[in-house]
Amino acid sequence: MSETSPQALPGAAGEGRKAFREGFLTNNPIFAQVLGICSALAVTSKIETSLVMGVGYIFVLALSAWVVSLLRETIPHRIRIIFQVLVVCVFVIVLDQILKAFYWQASRQLGPYVGLIITNTLTLGRTEGFSIRHKPMTALLDGIGNGLGYATVLALLGAIRELLGSGKLFGAVVLPGSVYTPNQLMILAPGAFFALGLLIALLNFVMLKTAKRK
Amino acid sequence: MQQTPALLIFFAALFTNNILLSNFLGMCHWLACTRSMLSAFGLGVAITVVTGITTILNYVMYHFVLIPLHLEYLTFLIFIAVIAAFVQLAEMVIERFSSKLYYSLGVFLPLMVVNCTIMGAALFMVTRNYSFGQTVGWGFGAGGGWMLSAVLLAAMRKKAGYSNPPAIFKGAGLVMIIAGFMALTFMGFNGMVAIE
Amino acid sequence: MKHKNLYTMFYAAILGLVCALIPTAVGTYTRPLREANAKVDEIKNTLRVLGIPFSASTPSKELVTFFQDRVVQQKSGDLTLYYAKPEAGQAADPVAIRFEGRGVWGPIRGYLALGSDMRTIKAITFYYHEETPGLGGEISTAAFMGKFPGKKIVGSDGAPGFHIKRLGASEQNEIDGISGATLTGGKVETILTLLADRIVKENIHVGD
Repeated sequence: MSETSPQALPGAAGEGRKAFREGFLTNNPIFAQVLGICSALAVTSKIETSLVMGVGYIFVLALSAWVVSLLRETIPHRIRIIFQVLVVCVFVIVLDQILKAFYWQASRQLGPYVGLIITNTLTLGRTEGFSIRHKPMTALLDGIGNGLGYATVLALLGAIRELLGSGKLFGAVVLPGSVYTPNQLMILAPGAFFALGLLIALLNFVMLKTAKRK
Repeated sequence: MQQTPALLIFFAALFTNNILLSNFLGMCHWLACTRSMLSAFGLGVAITVVTGITTILNYVMYHFVLIPLHLEYLTFLIFIAVIAAFVQLAEMVIERFSSKLYYSLGVFLPLMVVNCTIMGAALFMVTRNYSFGQTVGWGFGAGGGWMLSAVLLAAMRKKAGYSNPPAIFKGAGLVMIIAGFMALTFMGFNGMVAIE
Repeated sequence: MKHKNLYTMFYAAILGLVCALIPTAVGTYTRPLREANAKVDEIKNTLRVLGIPFSASTPSKELVTFFQDRVVQQKSGDLTLYYAKPEAGQAADPVAIRFEGRGVWGPIRGYLALGSDMRTIKAITFYYHEETPGLGGEISTAAFMGKFPGKKIVGSDGAPGFHIKRLGASEQNEIDGISGATLTGGKVETILTLLADRIVKENIHVGD
C-alpha cells in the first residue's frame, strides 16, 4: 500500500492516518501480526457474538492505546508491561460496570467476554509495540485501525462459521436443512482454523492478483 | 471432581483436556512462536514453569485473600499482577541463560503476561474448585500441555517447510490448516477423562 | 541508581492504588443501579417462566410492585419457591424454583417451573450461562427450552432425575440433547438431577 495520494500529509496527521491504514489492512492483527487469536476462535461461532466482541474491543483498544501514549514519558521501564496490562484491566472492568448500570442488555451480551478482552494479546501488542513510542493522537488512530481490522476479520469469520456451521445468520435460518446439511465442524475450533487458513489464502490470492496488475 | 487425584488431572491436562487443543487457550504464542524447535521448546518450558507456579500462587491469593475479604471483583487484577511479576522473572532468566531464545521470541515474551493459557489455567482452577493438590497437578499439566502441543506443531511446521504448497497458502495459511487438523485429532480425546 | 529505583517503587505504589481504587469507586457508585437492574432482570425471568404476562416497557418500579403483588415467595431451606397468588381454593400452578450450577465454561442459572404436583415440568429457562455460542449456548434457545414442558422430573419408576440423551429419548424424564453440546448437556443433566433429587427427597412443595 504505497502513498500515492497527492494529499498525503506529513507530520502527526499523516502518521495517524498511516497507522490507521496499516492497522486495518497491511498489518492486520490476525493475518499479519497473529494476535488476538484466542478470542477470534472463541466468539466467532456466531456472527452476532463476533460483532458484539468486535465493537466492545475497538473501544478498549483505542482508549488503552491513548492512555498509555499519554503517560508514556512517565512510565518506569521496569514496570511498563504491568502498567499497560493494568490500564487495560481497569478499562475493561469499568466498562463492564458502567454497562451493567446503564445498558443492562448490552452488558449481558458482552459479559462473558470481559475476560477474553483483558487477555487479548493484541491490546498489549499494540500498547507495547506502538503506543508507548508515539504521540497520543497517532496511538489512538493506531488503536482504532487495529481494532477495526480485528473486528472485520472477526465478523467475516463469524459469518462464515455460522453460515456453514448451522446454516443460519444472526440466528435466522438462511440455508434450510433441505438445501444444505450444516457442517457442525465449522462451529467447533478446527473449523475456525480451516476458515481462517482459507481466508488468509484468499487474501493472498487477491493481493497477488493486484500486484500482478500493477 | 473433588476426588479426582492430582496425578490424574496432570495427565489429563497434558493429553485429553489439553488446554490449547481442547479449550483453545494460548493460541497466539502457539501460532507465532513455533517457527523453530528452539522457540517452541524454550517457551514451552517457560510457560510450564510460569503456569505451574502462578496457578499455585493465585490459588493462595484467591482462597486466602480475595474470598475472605469479599474482593472477588478484583480477581482479574490480582491474577494478572501475579502473572506479570512472574513473567518478568522468566524474562530475566531467559535473557541470562539463552539470548538466542530471548531474541527469537521478541515481543511475544512480555506478551506472555496475557497468554490465555496462563490466565485460563488460573481461572479454571477457580471455576472447577480445585483443591491445593489438584491445583498443583493442573497448573503444571496445563503448562506442560501447551509445551507438548507447541513442540508438535513446531515439528510439523519443520516438515511442512520441505513441502511445496501453492503460493497463496505459504506461511500463515498453511499453519492454520495444520493447526486445524491437530485440533481435529485432539478432539478425539474429548470426554475420555472427566477432570471437572 | 537510587533515584530511579525510588521513582519506580513510588510509581508502582501509586499505580496499584489507582488500579484498586478506580474499579472500587465505580463499583460502589454503580452498585445500587447494578443491583436494581439485576433484580428487575430476575423478576422478568421469574414472570416469564411462570407464564405471567407483562409489558416490557413497564418502568422498573412498577414492575417490582407488580411482582410483589402477584407473586408469592416461599422459602424452603435455601431454595425459594415462586408462584402466582392462586385463586381461592386452587393449588399454586406453576411453581418456579431458581437453580444454579456449573457449566462447562461458567455458571448456568435458570428457573424450573413445575406443576402443582411438583413433578411435571411446565417450563424452564436458562437465563445465564457462558457456554459456547452455537453449541452449548443453544440451551437458552426456545428450541431447546421448548423440549421440557410436559416432561417430568422423575422416571416412570419414580426415581428422581432428568436425563439428556444423545438420541432416542423416550422416558418421561428424558429429552434429546443438542448435537455438538454433549458436555454442556451433561452439566445441565447434573444440575437438574440434583434439583429433582432434592425436591423429591425433601418433599418440597407449596404450603406448610
